[in-house]
Amino acid sequence: MLETKALTKNFGGLCAVNKLNLSIQAGEIVGLIGPNGAGKTTVFNLITGFYRASSGEILFNGKNLVGQKPHRIAESGIVRTFQIAKLFPNFTVLQNLRAASHLFIRVNLWEAIFRTSSYRRKEANGLDHAMKALRFLGLDSLKDEFARILPHGHQKLLGIAMALAASPELLLLDEPLEGMNPKEVDRALDIIAGIRAQGVTILLIEHNMRAVMRICDRIVVINFGQEIAKGSPEEIRQNKDVIKAYLGTSENGN
Amino acid sequence: MRFVKSVRDMTNLAIVCLGCVVPIVMKGNEYYLHIYIICVINIILASSLRAIATTGQVSIGQAGFMAIGAYTSAILATKFNFPTYSALLMGGLAAMVLAALIGYPLARVRTVYFVMVTMFLGEIIRLVLFEWRTMTGGSTGMMGIPRPEAFSILGILQIDFSNRFQFCYLALAVLLLILLALYNIERSHFGTVFAAIGQEESVSSSVGINVARYKVIIFSLASFFTGLAGGLYGHYMTVLNPDSFGTFASLYIVIYVIVGGRKFTGPISGAIILTLIPEIFGGLKEYQPFIFVIVLFLVVFLLPGGLSELPDRMKPQIRKILKRGFRIA
Repeated sequence: MLETKALTKNFGGLCAVNKLNLSIQAGEIVGLIGPNGAGKTTVFNLITGFYRASSGEILFNGKNLVGQKPHRIAESGIVRTFQIAKLFPNFTVLQNLRAASHLFIRVNLWEAIFRTSSYRRKEANGLDHAMKALRFLGLDSLKDEFARILPHGHQKLLGIAMALAASPELLLLDEPLEGMNPKEVDRALDIIAGIRAQGVTILLIEHNMRAVMRICDRIVVINFGQEIAKGSPEEIRQNKDVIKAYLGTSENGN
Repeated sequence: MRFVKSVRDMTNLAIVCLGCVVPIVMKGNEYYLHIYIICVINIILASSLRAIATTGQVSIGQAGFMAIGAYTSAILATKFNFPTYSALLMGGLAAMVLAALIGYPLARVRTVYFVMVTMFLGEIIRLVLFEWRTMTGGSTGMMGIPRPEAFSILGILQIDFSNRFQFCYLALAVLLLILLALYNIERSHFGTVFAAIGQEESVSSSVGINVARYKVIIFSLASFFTGLAGGLYGHYMTVLNPDSFGTFASLYIVIYVIVGGRKFTGPISGAIILTLIPEIFGGLKEYQPFIFVIVLFLVVFLLPGGLSELPDRMKPQIRKILKRGFRIA
């Protein structure tokens, strides 16, 4: 479904992502892990068009995405969330979702100005669509609260709800569990599993290893922008390179 | 909730009725009617600028687009014998086309850069009007721009907007149509998208919103309305001079919006108050920039949300007074 070929990004002399070959099959949950500064978020920014790759290819269902604008990539089915819960702070929860349902609501200016019946129908459909995403995340009771006053965990969930409202085929989650307490983590993992059950493929960045091991089908580990290991959670857990990358070289050599 | 909604509708209706009645009350006093028309034109300018500002950008070149509308309409009516109404429309369209053309490069610049580019753009337009003497009359300006001609609908209803009193109603009609369009846009999905862009461009594009496209849409539409306001101004004044469309004229529109506030009604109250204040203190007209700065400071310090926040701020006080009143009774 998604494949990167020798994907590289240089910032001046710094090579943030170095010849990365990723491959994600439809229906998978793939974890992208690595120490801080390994280039994980840069990979997300490259895939979603916020950065332009220095070289290499990003193929999504066979089409090269390099050079496309973020909104175009979202339109073709890849939607992301942000590490720091980025949303529209001055909107209510519902308004956030309505904005995020943009790709679902196809209206033109004239319909909106004259409030035609077809326009009102589309608007009503959009509302349904937004509410469905809210209910799925269990946020429907908060729909009239301003996003900026929500507790952190709820903001994170709202970010996921917004990404879902954009109807992705591939969902990129940037540290979805960051800052959540164990109870919230359990709930979020259920939600992520539920999203996959709807047929959405997921690539996620996460530092919570217990959770990553639990939910991912496959894991890719990168360090200094390069892939150092990939495989099932079990394989990754035993991989010496991974342990080294996370803990540094141990003194007695294993 | 329903009751509040209907109260608001009734207030709006009452204000519109007031707008219709005011010229009748003032009929005969040409000076008052003049101020009324200028007020209406300024409300169009301010409301259009606010629409652009919802995407997070403030243009300091809108007087330029007003000038494009005014001059296009005036030139078509005087030199090419266009009927006034179609000339007006063409003036608006000319401003819109220009806005759409420069809109895409403009959508890429932000904050202070956007301010500078639009400011220079307004100034360039003014200079072109200054130098293109054969068409615009240069620094002496244009004269003898016709007032709208009378026409009849189906030979029965005679409509004439040519004298000052009648012109009030043409301006009012244009204003109401524009406000209705802007209001419908604001409460539609477009309004949500514009406000979303105004808050977080990166989130907007990550959910598939074409940020540049929507910025161009609202910039072009607002410039269309601004051009219409310019056309109205030209056909009302019957004379035009490039000096009326300098950077200061653009800045005044910005001040109307700041003083009025962010809400939909903000630019309406801001434009009315700031058009009236210099007129009330008639002798101080040369000190207009000075007065504007004082008002601006007063608003920023005392009413940070602008005049449109006033009703919300007064609500608790009014409720208190009402309660006390009932207790006494």
